[in-house]
Amino acid sequence: MRDIDSLELKKQKTLITLWSFTFLIIFPILIILGLLMRLNQGEVIDLGIDNFYVLMTLHGLGMAGLLYSMAFGALWYLLSTRYVRLNTQVGYFIYAAVLIGVIGIIITTLIGKFGAGWYLLYPLPFKGTFWSSWATGLTIISLIILGVAWLIGNIHVVYALVKEYGGMSNILGWQYLKKQAVERELPPIVLIAAISLIPGIIAFLAGAVFLIMFLLQHFEPGLTFDNLLVKNLIFFFGHTLVNITLYCCLGWVYALLPEYTHRDWKANKLLVYSWNATFFFILFAYFHHLYMDFVQPKPLQIAGQLASYFSAIPATAVTMFGVISQVYRSKIRWDIVPLAFLLGVAGWAIGGFAAIVDSTIYINKIMHNTLWVPGHFHTYMLTGVILFLLGYLFYIGQNKEVQSKDKLSKIGFWTFLIAAHGFIASFYAGGMNSVPRRYSDYKGIPIESTHSIGATLAQLSTIFISILLIGLFIMYISMLSKLFKCSRDPSRT
Amino acid sequence: MIYINILLTIQSYAGIVSFIAGAMIVAVVAFLILTSKNGEEKATAKKKVYKTRDRYFAVLITCIIVGLFYSLRALPYSPINSSPDQEVTIVAMQWAWKMAPGRTDKAPSDFQGNNEITLESNKHIRFLVTSADVNHNFAIYNNAGVIVAQTQAMPGYQNELDYIFKDKGEYHVLCLEYCGLAHGFMVGTIHVK
Repeated sequence: MRDIDSLELKKQKTLITLWSFTFLIIFPILIILGLLMRLNQGEVIDLGIDNFYVLMTLHGLGMAGLLYSMAFGALWYLLSTRYVRLNTQVGYFIYAAVLIGVIGIIITTLIGKFGAGWYLLYPLPFKGTFWSSWATGLTIISLIILGVAWLIGNIHVVYALVKEYGGMSNILGWQYLKKQAVERELPPIVLIAAISLIPGIIAFLAGAVFLIMFLLQHFEPGLTFDNLLVKNLIFFFGHTLVNITLYCCLGWVYALLPEYTHRDWKANKLLVYSWNATFFFILFAYFHHLYMDFVQPKPLQIAGQLASYFSAIPATAVTMFGVISQVYRSKIRWDIVPLAFLLGVAGWAIGGFAAIVDSTIYINKIMHNTLWVPGHFHTYMLTGVILFLLGYLFYIGQNKEVQSKDKLSKIGFWTFLIAAHGFIASFYAGGMNSVPRRYSDYKGIPIESTHSIGATLAQLSTIFISILLIGLFIMYISMLSKLFKCSRDPSRT
Repeated sequence: MIYINILLTIQSYAGIVSFIAGAMIVAVVAFLILTSKNGEEKATAKKKVYKTRDRYFAVLITCIIVGLFYSLRALPYSPINSSPDQEVTIVAMQWAWKMAPGRTDKAPSDFQGNNEITLESNKHIRFLVTSADVNHNFAIYNNAGVIVAQTQAMPGYQNELDYIFKDKGEYHVLCLEYCGLAHGFMVGTIHVK
């Protein structure tokens, strides 16, 4: 633990408060966009096809960006207040740049009607568009601003950690692999931050390459690029972003769960091997997104399945069993924070398993781009990342005494969680019945059973989304009421 | 009338296996919460967990090896045999399918084809799939609404998809890659005689 002066602590607290409130405001709005989409697919409302795809783009870009930003912001706060000095001015710059990027995307979608989907699969942003050309340009520029902000953030944190711990190999934990005794212990959160943020830097650079290509084509429409190459860049970027969002969260699970179990959780050789292997899998698993591109070299397709399958070893045998050894017969009091962390790990495991199923080429050739895909990524985002984030927000918003007495938050939490799994089940059932993803509605499908199953499941899912929102609202009441009480009573901060 | 495909599809097996895995994870969580009241020394608890982990590790490695061994033997990339009974050119475009028998040397935008095609059952068909504009996905659904085969339709590239229609009847082609406004209405029909 580092010594931090009160002024710096105050600045870092203000920064995390800004990130947290931004997250708390935007998150339910993006859920409501999802609700509208499912209502449209269920033929309960008629948004119009163009508006559906606008909302789909905003929901996807918004959630991917918001969750990564909040996970990064939370990791930043823990690292900066406990382990390493991080420059608050850089932090505020990142926050401001992300905000500008987000405003840009809101303008391009809601006003410009940009609707190419969250990963802008090339060359869709330029061909057969129902949105104006300026919207494409502004979206690209907004994403570049977001990417630059995240790139600077990742580089700054990695650089600071390297400086603090005496080299890149030390933050990757390689000193644990040598015969000599380790001079300075490496907190697991630092190792995980390195394993998350370094691939993040590579991914953001890949993102920068394709966004610059897009920008060039936007200004010079005669210019075109190789579709397979751009597809690889896009999926490498998108897959890595989603992956590291979850890993950033695991960083603080390693750091905070021991506070509740009173059992230490230290780095060792196995942990280092495990997370270094994860580094490798993060970089190569993305090939599973291109299985249906038969022209992609076959060794890369097989590498995608191998990386996806073997990623289960460090994830489950080390991290999940690490969580089990933390809580098993630990006499832990199941307050909202450890509960959210444990169930978040469970959500990650369930979503991860469904993802591995779909990463099997033999299965993917049948289930690719059905509703199974949003099923598994909603599982590890909504019942993994979001639970970690909620746990984190309760951790920083309430002290442990308040958490232990807080029944309301638990009511909200269980309501949210059960409804979230019900909502996700509608996607899995759709996938099992070959219902395609990204359809504005299913009226155009000439097979009656697929049409009716798709629409009925969408209707059912809206009930679960509504309950989920109620659960979230109850948690908000709990969180905010405690904050107001704290602000009235300075002794309870 | 809604019915759910329960038996004999890969989709169903994927669902059942995932459900069982999910239920096991929930059971582990419930066990951890219920047993956490009984305190135990960290060292003893850790020893028990690590013993379980060793067993789990052995099972996991076995599952991975068996899973890879069986699944990698059935990849869709290798042709059923080198010379198919029939080749069919498929050109996807916003928002229609152009399908015609044989190969073509025409550019995708100049290629002429129809939204419907008639093929024979129990023949080795090779679909030569490309796109005239953006990425699409050529997915074949049988009459029961089950996907039986698919591949991407990508501009500048040609994916070769081999398939044998065992059953006669009407099959539908849907697009499974978001391709713009009428993505959900991009439908083709394959009549199998």
